[in-house]
Amino acid sequence: MKKHSLKWSTIYLAFVFIILYAPIIYLVIYSFSAGKTMESFHGFSFQHYMDLFADTRMITIVINTLLVALLASLLATIIGTLGALAIKDSHGKWRNSLMSLNNVLMVSPDVIIGASFLIFFTVLGVRLGFISVLLSHIAFSIPIVVLMVLPKLNELSPTLVDAAYDLGASRWQTLTRVILPAIGPGIMAGYFMAFTYSLDDFAVTFFVTGNGFSTLSVEIYSRARQGVNLEINALSTLMFIVSLLLVISYYFISQHAGRRHHLVTVKEGDAQ
Amino acid sequence: MGKNILEFRHVGKKYGDNVVLKDISFDIEAGKFYTLLGPSGSGKTTILRIIAGFDDATSGDVYFDGQRINDVPANKRQVNTVFQDYALFPHMNVAENVAFGLQIKGVDKKTIQERVHQALHMVRLDGYEEREITAMSGGQRQRVAIARAIVNRPKVLLLDEALSALDHKLRVDMQTELRQLQRQLGITFIFVTHDQEEALAMSDQIMIINDGKIQQTGTPVDIYDEPLNHFVADFIGESNIVPAVMKEDYLVNINGQDFECVDAGMKTNERVEVVLRPEDLDITTPDKGKLVATVDTQLFRGVDYQITAHDLRNHEWKINSIHKTTVGQQVGLTFDPEDIHVMRYNESEADFDARLDSYEEEE
Repeated sequence: MKKHSLKWSTIYLAFVFIILYAPIIYLVIYSFSAGKTMESFHGFSFQHYMDLFADTRMITIVINTLLVALLASLLATIIGTLGALAIKDSHGKWRNSLMSLNNVLMVSPDVIIGASFLIFFTVLGVRLGFISVLLSHIAFSIPIVVLMVLPKLNELSPTLVDAAYDLGASRWQTLTRVILPAIGPGIMAGYFMAFTYSLDDFAVTFFVTGNGFSTLSVEIYSRARQGVNLEINALSTLMFIVSLLLVISYYFISQHAGRRHHLVTVKEGDAQ
Repeated sequence: MGKNILEFRHVGKKYGDNVVLKDISFDIEAGKFYTLLGPSGSGKTTILRIIAGFDDATSGDVYFDGQRINDVPANKRQVNTVFQDYALFPHMNVAENVAFGLQIKGVDKKTIQERVHQALHMVRLDGYEEREITAMSGGQRQRVAIARAIVNRPKVLLLDEALSALDHKLRVDMQTELRQLQRQLGITFIFVTHDQEEALAMSDQIMIINDGKIQQTGTPVDIYDEPLNHFVADFIGESNIVPAVMKEDYLVNINGQDFECVDAGMKTNERVEVVLRPEDLDITTPDKGKLVATVDTQLFRGVDYQITAHDLRNHEWKINSIHKTTVGQQVGLTFDPEDIHVMRYNESEADFDARLDSYEEEE
């Protein structure tokens, strides 16, 4: 009986994953096709990859996208972590309002955020381009970082800070030597989340890119409108592999960190 | 009289309208083991936090080694704390945790290594330097927390409910070890607990705190044998507390019956309370007893039997006896004059001491 149900659950799970991954696998397979369309497979070739590497405009856009993602997530992580520390230190109603303001940004549609940024930048007279994209990416990544860091801060025992003062640490030393290392996994998670959000953002970016600056998602969208080019498949395959590597490396980092950073709780009997 | 390391002068503490400490004054002598004992919410932890510098006194002065330290921040005080939840840094291993305070002070690496080694040796954790905190048991974490505090060689070590997270057997072992450690180091320990057994077992001096006030200060024996008021008598150990009338010096009337006692210095026919410890009551035959009572319940507790009985006037008595009796049986209860301890209502500690001196000198 038990064996039977286990088997069905395995089949179900496999089915779900096949459905989820089928489009990606389909796309990856055709990136190696010699043909120009995805109607039938025309034999193996690296032709589309050659085209991609020859396409300097595309390469520039990939570099731009990565640059925006790296910078935006880095700055958002710094600002977001400081924000989380400030929220943690606030009290009562004030704290709830801050949290709500943070969460509103998380749930509001990207289109609204994008449109509002467009209006904002236009009013301020900021030229649309790299800076406007970077600023908007930082802005929508901050709430994500706050959301990842705050639970880690709340898990920290308040006596940890007392203990650091007690042992002679200044406020700065307490922050850099105790609080930040202890919430390190949360900061890392926030950084990775912000990075992926920035990398694949379309809606917000679409509003705030001007002429001459584009990110990958916007570029792929505009090319796809003119008919699908298999160069996009090649690019998507590479992106997929990169994100796979990112996930795997994040897994190993958190595994390693988890061993050390696991929160110390007072529980009798564990690891006796 | 030793030197006072710490003095509280009329210290008060309020959180908004909530008064936590009311006019607390005491002296702490260097090199002794003190316990602040009280129920939760009594203000004992607040006193500790004021000594450590985590909280400020709303009024009054705190002196450390003769210097007023109200405005000295926690990280500049020669005091270290062992926290109830140990507060070990989760991202550091044992040695790094212990070394933290010394690193902050900028002590050189070689000295740090030596002193960490020494401190771990004192808490019997030799060879655990490289262990992660998560790989340590509750009792071991407790020792790491103690090592992390004593490695800084503080003049006063504060322990906040430091043993309450341990199981019973480990806690009893740690009591002995803490006491030894205190003698070995020769520094002042101030231990906060709600556990009266712990307090009686370890302390040189106990301060009983309730309701933001010091109820009584004294050695464990003084406090157990001569509780000042109803709260202390009830809180420390088990007790029978009965209303009584002081007929004259050395004669007290309990429930209409006169008994010889060893207390004096009160007004004639003053209403008082009398404490009789359950272990001081002996069970005998009804004709030999000073009181006659019927046994209601009997519980076996390993070391003794806990017996409750009611007398002819329906007053309940708790008796601890190593001899077994039978439920429903009529027995006699007997006790000696010195087993009776008389407490006056609303007597202050100073008045109590003065009264004791007055008639003890007469003898």
